[in-house]
Amino acid sequence: MSDDRRVVGTARSAVFSTYDRLFVGRGRLQQAVIGIVLLAAVGLVAAGLLAPQSDAGRLFAVLTADSTLAATLRLSVPIAFAALGGIFAEKSGVINIGLEGLLIISAFVGIWATDVTGSVWYGLIGGVLASTLLAGLFAIVCIEFRADQIIAGLAVWLIALGLAPFLSSVIYGSKNSTSVDTFPTLPDMGIPVLSDAVTAPMPVVGVAPVDIPFFGALFDASPPVYLMLLAVALSWYTLHRTAFGRWVEASGENPKALDTAGVNVHRVRYAAVLLSGVLAGVGGAALALGVGQFTGNGPTMVNGKGFIAIVAYLFGNYNPVGALASTMLFAGLDATQLTLQARDVFQVPTELVRTIPYVTVIVVLALFGRTRIPSAGGEHYESGEDE
Amino acid sequence: MTQTDTAVRLEDITKRFPGVVANDNVDLPVERGSVHALLGENGAGKTTLMNVLYGLYQPDSGRIVVDGEERDFASPRDAIDAGIGMIHQHFMLVDTMTVAENIALGNEPRKWGGLAVDREAARRDVVELSERYGFDVDPDKTIADVSVGVQQRVEILKALYRGADVLILDEPTAVLTPQEVEDLFDVLDELTDQGKTVIFITHKLGEAMHAADDVTVLRDGKNVGTVDADETTREELAELMVGREVVLDVESTPPDVGDTVLDVDALSVLDDREVPAVTDVSFVVREGEVFGVAGVDGNGQAELVEAVTGLRDPEAGSVEFDGRDVTDAPRRDRIDSGMAYIPEDRQERGLVMDFDLVENGILGSQHGAPFASGGTIDWDASRTHAEDIVEEYDVRPPDADTEAVALSGGNQQKFIVGREFERDPRLVVATHPTRGVDIGSQEFIHDRLLELRDEGRGVLLVSSKLDEVQGLSDRLAVMHDGDVMAVVDPDEIDEEELGLLMAGEYPEGYEPRSERDAEGVAQ
Repeated sequence: MSDDRRVVGTARSAVFSTYDRLFVGRGRLQQAVIGIVLLAAVGLVAAGLLAPQSDAGRLFAVLTADSTLAATLRLSVPIAFAALGGIFAEKSGVINIGLEGLLIISAFVGIWATDVTGSVWYGLIGGVLASTLLAGLFAIVCIEFRADQIIAGLAVWLIALGLAPFLSSVIYGSKNSTSVDTFPTLPDMGIPVLSDAVTAPMPVVGVAPVDIPFFGALFDASPPVYLMLLAVALSWYTLHRTAFGRWVEASGENPKALDTAGVNVHRVRYAAVLLSGVLAGVGGAALALGVGQFTGNGPTMVNGKGFIAIVAYLFGNYNPVGALASTMLFAGLDATQLTLQARDVFQVPTELVRTIPYVTVIVVLALFGRTRIPSAGGEHYESGEDE
Repeated sequence: MTQTDTAVRLEDITKRFPGVVANDNVDLPVERGSVHALLGENGAGKTTLMNVLYGLYQPDSGRIVVDGEERDFASPRDAIDAGIGMIHQHFMLVDTMTVAENIALGNEPRKWGGLAVDREAARRDVVELSERYGFDVDPDKTIADVSVGVQQRVEILKALYRGADVLILDEPTAVLTPQEVEDLFDVLDELTDQGKTVIFITHKLGEAMHAADDVTVLRDGKNVGTVDADETTREELAELMVGREVVLDVESTPPDVGDTVLDVDALSVLDDREVPAVTDVSFVVREGEVFGVAGVDGNGQAELVEAVTGLRDPEAGSVEFDGRDVTDAPRRDRIDSGMAYIPEDRQERGLVMDFDLVENGILGSQHGAPFASGGTIDWDASRTHAEDIVEEYDVRPPDADTEAVALSGGNQQKFIVGREFERDPRLVVATHPTRGVDIGSQEFIHDRLLELRDEGRGVLLVSSKLDEVQGLSDRLAVMHDGDVMAVVDPDEIDEEELGLLMAGEYPEGYEPRSERDAEGVAQ
């Protein structure tokens, strides 16, 4: 009896502490928004369980479908890599809004190098090299020649936006490249996976058939997805636990402090920006090699992912884990939208769904405003010059 | 002894910047285990000289000798390696990082073959170091959360952590409270007791004499003398600093007062936290007099001035300027009708730091004659105006195209004073007009204020320097806790009585302010 009571008591206190964390000490508007989001979530789950045939129920089914997580992870790869790159650059004080351009150039070169060498992995390396080269150019212009970072970043985007389709036209006779191999799956590479065991449907007692949501896809993804998860962990570690990470933070917060501590600020910033080129390069090449083709019409196949990446890392407050979480939120919305259209549940225009990341970030920043931009972000630093 | 007695010797250091010779053949010998003060006016080249020693600047000529060995510092890293540490006036700390992280920055102990910072070791070293020198510092606090005094200790620890034997402190007392200043001097004693050498930069005579063993005075980039602190006098040091006898007291003639210029009636003002900062204050300022407001900083003076100048809306009461009620009038109205304002924070409110002096010179008058007409600015007239200010107020470097940010604090202040005085004002509201300004400029600003008074203009002077406010004022209001305790005759009250009033107590013979005090001169 008393055990039961204790369980109930623990549950109660858990509920209350969650309630406290969510609502106490917040303004009325914040409480209202949190309340609406919670209600909507509860409503969705209820509908999914009780009325699977309603619109809301079908939406729940889509959200929890195995393929949704698979698509989310796949769509996250370029955004997350670009976001990680953006974090390093901006934390060091160089705002790199050219991430979009880095994704585009590495997407194209990734395909071309694969085409030439016949290996997806050489293709990946080629993409990374191209992106790093372009990032290096950006770094020189910003750090050595004191160009405005925003303008230089826009130039990086525009250069890549013009150059990649142009090169494709020259080499392949069309803005779209020929098709090449895509990444092999893990079993193809001889690595055993758990996915078969996990994705097998399990009976859930007393409830209508619901697949084990989500997690199957984690064990059945393509190599770039694992690279992404690894990169997030490594980035977090590098930023928070290594001396280089501390220098990056100091370089963006108070470069003079770093300089007077005897560390060369320019070198730290070069390293951070080049690193952003490497990371974005993996993202761009992975994007193109996932499809097996570079498509260069209009905004190219990258189509704004570099800009969403900026939003993602701001939203994640420069924390790699936070950036991954917000990337997956945005990519998840996109994946849901794709599935919804495929299954003909709601007809939500793609364009409208694409605005969701930006709208979300404005709402969240306005209401919760926790993103702290590095104090010296965007400012040039020169040793020996007074502030 | 195996080591020389001289810890650091600078020989014939010359450092030029475009248009200025910041250091001109400076020699500086610093004895081991001593506190050496580098004294001089703003812009005398003290900080430049120390930046040379710290490797931030490379000298155009001259030698740096540390421990008897000639050195060439290409960067601070070289200076650090030679055992030199510098604590800058603006702290070089990263707000978002902890005390321990800041101290170890650039010198992090590593583990796992360099792949990780050994945070435990860093923390342990910091604790050990701060205990050895008797510092009270929590290594895990974030810099943003600790007081300025603690931040300064973190800076000192940072230098010691890097093995500094010679510590350079740039204007270390500028940001400290009087109590913290005493604590700092104790820290300096502790450091020299343990064999460290300290060089500190200051423009305050008293501090140099009080805390230092030797004092070197710089003027216009030259070493004009190194003296023993125990054997010198204030007058000697002051003379070395400015190059002539300074009259430390201000001479003033009796006022010749005219009509009322400013009439403040029952004014109440809230501060940023919506707490009453000024309660029911009334006074008048008349033509041809200096009305002083004395008090410890933070007793409502700032809010009072903001309400008078139109920067803050009062909660109650009225401000009448030149016979007109301007309580709700916008700031521009007051500027246009002749209210000049020397703000407390020159970088925040007095200047646009990225603008050059031509642009800064017309701030506040940019919308009308003689500098603008029909929406366009007459840059020729503006330039002439700025050049006139620069010349008349001795702003250095004498170049109207200099950006405000490139001037030293004292020169920024002189430029603001010049701009405001040249408005041909009916009333000058001056808050701490000589804060952070060298003695020569102080004297100059005081003289100009009195000249304006003698020309029949009104002056409202707020200052926390007692000698200044007492010496210049014709009538003196003492503020405490948002209230005017009394309006007194500054020539008759002594410092002790003033001190009591500022502390909120009435000395014998004084009574709570009456209507009569507010309306006229205390008879």
